Amino acid sequence: MLPPSASDAEILAIGRELSDAIPSPARRPRAALDDKAMDLASQDAQLKAALFRFVDVVPACRSVDDLAAHLSGFLSEVDAKPVALEQALRLGGSRAGRAALGTAAAAGVKHMAHRFIVGESPQAAAGVLADLWKHGVTSSVDLLGEATVTSAEADAYARRCSEALTTLSRAAANWPAQPAIERDSAGELPRANLSVKVSALTPLLRADAPELGSRDAAPRLRALLRRAADAGAHLHVDMESYDSREATTDLVLGLLAEPEFADGPSAGVVLQAYLRDSPELADRLVRWVRDTPRSTPLTVRLVKGAYWDHEVVDARQHGWTPPVFEVKADSDANFEHLTRVLLGARTTGAGVRVAVASHNLRSVAHAVACNRASGHPDEDLELQVLRGLGDGLQTALASSGLRVRTYCPVGDLVAGMAYLVRRLLENTSNDSFLHEQGAGVPLERLLAAPGGAT
Amino acid sequence: MSLPAFVNEPVLELRRAAHRNALLSALKDLDASGPVRVPVWIGSDRRDADDPISTDPGNPDRVVAIGATATAADVPRAVEAGERGFTEWSRLPATGRAQALVAAASWLRERRHQAAALAVREAAKPWAEADADVCEALDFLEYYARGAVALEGGESLLVVPGERNEMRYRPRGIVGVIAPWNFPLAIPLGMVAAGLATGNAVVLKPAEQAPGCAAFLVEALRAGGVPAGAIALLPGEGDVGAALVRHPGVHTIAFTGSGPVGLEIVRAAAETPPGARHLKRVVAEMGGKNCVIVDADADLDDAVPGVVRSAFAYAGQKCSAASRVLVHESIADTFTQRLAGAVATLQVGQAERFGVDVPPVIEADAQARVRRYADAARRAGTLVAVREEGVEDVGWFCAPTVVAGLPGDAPVLFEEVFGPLLTVEAVRDVDAACDRIDELPFALTGGLYARNPHTVEHVVRRSPVGNLYVNRSITGAMVGRQPFGGNRLSGTGTKAGGPDYLLHFVEPHVVTENTVRHGLII
Ligand SMILES: Cc1cc2nc3c(=O)[nH]c(=O)nc-3n(C[C@H](O)[C@H](O)[C@H](O)COP(=O)(O)OP(=O)(O)OC[C@H]3O[C@@H](n4cnc5c(N)ncnc54)[C@H](O)[C@@H]3O)c2cc1C
Repeated sequence: MLPPSASDAEILAIGRELSDAIPSPARRPRAALDDKAMDLASQDAQLKAALFRFVDVVPACRSVDDLAAHLSGFLSEVDAKPVALEQALRLGGSRAGRAALGTAAAAGVKHMAHRFIVGESPQAAAGVLADLWKHGVTSSVDLLGEATVTSAEADAYARRCSEALTTLSRAAANWPAQPAIERDSAGELPRANLSVKVSALTPLLRADAPELGSRDAAPRLRALLRRAADAGAHLHVDMESYDSREATTDLVLGLLAEPEFADGPSAGVVLQAYLRDSPELADRLVRWVRDTPRSTPLTVRLVKGAYWDHEVVDARQHGWTPPVFEVKADSDANFEHLTRVLLGARTTGAGVRVAVASHNLRSVAHAVACNRASGHPDEDLELQVLRGLGDGLQTALASSGLRVRTYCPVGDLVAGMAYLVRRLLENTSNDSFLHEQGAGVPLERLLAAPGGAT
Repeated sequence: MSLPAFVNEPVLELRRAAHRNALLSALKDLDASGPVRVPVWIGSDRRDADDPISTDPGNPDRVVAIGATATAADVPRAVEAGERGFTEWSRLPATGRAQALVAAASWLRERRHQAAALAVREAAKPWAEADADVCEALDFLEYYARGAVALEGGESLLVVPGERNEMRYRPRGIVGVIAPWNFPLAIPLGMVAAGLATGNAVVLKPAEQAPGCAAFLVEALRAGGVPAGAIALLPGEGDVGAALVRHPGVHTIAFTGSGPVGLEIVRAAAETPPGARHLKRVVAEMGGKNCVIVDADADLDDAVPGVVRSAFAYAGQKCSAASRVLVHESIADTFTQRLAGAVATLQVGQAERFGVDVPPVIEADAQARVRRYADAARRAGTLVAVREEGVEDVGWFCAPTVVAGLPGDAPVLFEEVFGPLLTVEAVRDVDAACDRIDELPFALTGGLYARNPHTVEHVVRRSPVGNLYVNRSITGAMVGRQPFGGNRLSGTGTKAGGPDYLLHFVEPHVVTENTVRHGLII
């Protein structure tokens, strides 16, 4: 049953309030120094490609000389070079110049990476997490890693996750009490929270044989669920590309239905609203929760989906209809529909916890308004943002008394590169809310219903 | 009739369960209906028999096809029938022929699950590969149909006043097609369709391992409206192929297969027996020794799975498959270690099981050959990985193997193995890798994993291969997107599925007409 919808006036009011609460430098989040590069990049496709290819290759470069060689290689393919880059290219001509160029470029990439990645290890990140907590913000840690192509790599990732659960729950035990973010109507919320990826837990994800990957990942994920239960931590399984969706869904729902996990740990899955068939998956989740005897609620994180370009290109190369919507407003509208479906599932006592993960003020305000309209207190809705992209929104949500969780990637530069490139792409994509917000689109338009008057 | 622009046939979206189930049920039906029948099929004369002629490589006791076996004595009959068929077929305008090929494609498309199931059983192609084989077969029909229509328009020539110049292409006559088993639908049909689209009559000698697939194709062509006289099927052994090549009535030989056989064909075709009235033309696609270069700046997250797929998918039984990796010494240890780990995750098993990467090889001889090379390589070098799990006693299985540290003159570095065996060499730099590749007599496919654009351009310039793949796996060429074929001793430099392939099946005619009468241009 869908909860009552919220009026546009309410959504607008909440959106305005949140917007006003965003700290001013962050209201134009792309005004920071390294945003200059991204601004430049979003204006010129070739330049964007060159910069992203460079960021991508940095960890594989053996020396500053090598770095400079790659940078000038990529830049030489850009037709219209800004003056600064012409100068950079000229530097590449001499040994000393290359050293300077390589060093500067590496520093630039590191700087960008630090914006999105909170530390090299969970231990190193603990300070940042504690600080967030003090400011009324919860977190979920994501361990960045290279692709898993061997069983040893899957084991190593599982081991790192297991250690992280221990480290995080130990660290979190020392945090001061924060009643407003530690419980909702369904009960207590674990402080330690880890997000994991199935593609890192098995080298055997095959689109045409989903059971192969889920079978291989099962023992590793089962061990993590046990560890999370012992540590009193929450374990969230991220959703990745459509190729792995069946394996991921079957795996997680299968394991959580095992009797040993009936009373925990707290765990969650992800629903991607950009998928055309996401309403069916939402139904499946709601039915599963209703029919599975578990005493802990299932957290469903609602997102739009991070693999949009991949899904479209992959489908085009194969001659398939993309599994994702191709009009941005359709994803946004479906996101709102699914927000209501999930909030409604919660009210039927199905044991769903809803986490709405978005940087889009409209999507967020809509969720907050619908939650209120359904008669639930604000703490019954979790809002989630990504470190580095949603910092301003995070502050605004926390200061408005809303429950917000920040997704914090942890790892070294090599491991973080794929993540970094993905975030940079997101930040420079013309269709993204952050881009529009940064470009100064008026608030009324930003807060308008998807596909509406704009 | 005007045809819509060519697009590649989409492979089945096998990540959706409904498609997987449709394939499994087609296989069930195929198994239930018993062996397929393969006739010696010349014109409307169909000779059947009940002899088992092909078996399942994964279970050699299972007969896949029964039928008659052609002999060298059938060749002259087939060529004569072809000559009669040629008269009828070549008279059609290209659009008429295209219509028949497109209709054959529709017939096949409606039976795509059945065709894929047949390739699974007869050639042990894993599902995704079997389905891709069907799609490529369809692509060849559609692509060459359109190509022939365009070709019929001729080439424009320089024009001066008072003179009309025209260049047109005409079919040559009889095309003898000698096909392999590894793409049991796409490759035979590609060569046949090229011959037919351009107006030739075709005699098809399929691989003796995959006659059932070939019979299915001939059925499709005839159902589409290709006259019986224009396409004959001669399922048989090597002697039939040899007789076809030598027959004076054959104009063009289209061959895909091993190097030694290809060279023998080139030699035999060069002879002009008494009474011969034309030179035979050979379009040959032969072996390879395909190398992948992995430079220091490669993204190993891509390179490792890409190399594994290139070397071991379908048990390495593709002319395009990777058999040597040349990796920059600075990352050789990491690469090799990850490669070994990735090979240890390969799924060896029966082709009909979704997710299987490495099915059995085609036949007992192939198994013996691969094992011989693998043993020799293991003796001469160091074993990096061998994946025994899943290797069954029944079926011609070979364990995927990776060997490193081989001496520079080890035969396995130069000879085509055509099986799941990969060697790894550390090299000083990309140029050292190019030098080694340059020593090879083959030049079919190659791969490069590198991210510096200057390196990519440098290797592109140095590489002799017909198809170079940068930062991706090196198999899976698609019609119209990656025209396919090798240079050097890998082939005649012809590009199947490319814009100029059909030119090998036609003869150019130039007509010059004087249009001046009484000093005036008429
Ligand atoms: C805490 C958190 C956790 C996340 N976890 C996951 C996860 O597990 N799996 C996952 O896939 N993603 C995840 N994401 C990423 C998320 O899916 C989005 O990519 C990201 O949040 C941007 O969406 P938005 O609502 O913030 O911004 P918006 O700018 O409103 O939306 C951008 C999104 O719209 C969609 N889109 C863009 N162009 C089009 C188009 N032309 N047609 C249709 N749709 C289009 C894409 O999904 C794109 O990401 C997570 C995000 C957060 C904040």
